[in-house]
Amino acid sequence: METAKVLFTIFGLEVTGHVTTMWAIMAFLFVVLVLMTRKMDKVPGRFQCLIEYTVEGLLNFFSGMMGKKMARRYFPLLCTLFLFILVSNWSGILPLAGHVEGFRPPTSTLSVTAALALVAFFATQFAGFREKGFGYLKHFFQPFIFMFPLNLIEELVRPLSLSLRLYGNIFGEEMVVAVLLSIAPYFAPALMQMLGILFGFIQAVVFTTLTAIYISSATADAH
Amino acid sequence: MNMTSAIIALAVALVMGIATIGPALGQGTAAAKAMEGMARQPEMAGELRTTLIIAMAFMEALTIYGLLIAFLLLLKM
Repeated sequence: METAKVLFTIFGLEVTGHVTTMWAIMAFLFVVLVLMTRKMDKVPGRFQCLIEYTVEGLLNFFSGMMGKKMARRYFPLLCTLFLFILVSNWSGILPLAGHVEGFRPPTSTLSVTAALALVAFFATQFAGFREKGFGYLKHFFQPFIFMFPLNLIEELVRPLSLSLRLYGNIFGEEMVVAVLLSIAPYFAPALMQMLGILFGFIQAVVFTTLTAIYISSATADAH
Repeated sequence: MNMTSAIIALAVALVMGIATIGPALGQGTAAAKAMEGMARQPEMAGELRTTLIIAMAFMEALTIYGLLIAFLLLLKM
């Protein structure tokens, strides 16, 4: 994989175009959401309606998978993951993405998706310990004690597959657009980018769905 | 073009071809069954569609792994 160009360093940490785009996305989400929910009212306005619709739809979606109580408890994490991944995936469609220094879609690099997957991984472990205490460790030894290595591998493979799935889809889609652009520059890339909008949404849904499923299986009662 | 590049090009083509076969068959089966279910119970269509898309994304991931390997190989060419 090509190494991204380092723009500048902060305390020895290299800041690439992906990082600056991530900052921009964070600021965008923060500002938009704050502005839209600034004047909350019992009778929702246009923007408040949009936010309420999104949040309620997501909450119902997660409730169907992990139960109402758990969905409420872990909703901040899941909703943030979903919104951030969605905006990151779609940021690659904006003009000039990838051509301007400091503007590269974050989810098209393995480092960012690996970081997101690690967040999901540690959130799962944290949720397990929080709901079940040290009894959580018991599930590594079920159904027999010999299954411990397999259970451990299963647990550790999850962040790997999460990060590779997201990275591969977004990076692959971009590469296909780039190749199409060099073969048939006028119409074909636009079609592929339309598919890319769909894929970006689906991948965001899949990432958060899997995180929700992992959390709900870590916090489920032993059977 | 030297021998190594030629072998890598062949390997890339094979990776993409072989990595596509399995998931394609799986997705075909899944889509066929889902459509059957939708035709039988149209009221379940919405739920089936969501589940189908998520299942499709899982199968798609297998091809994507192959695609990643293909890109890695191409960079070595």
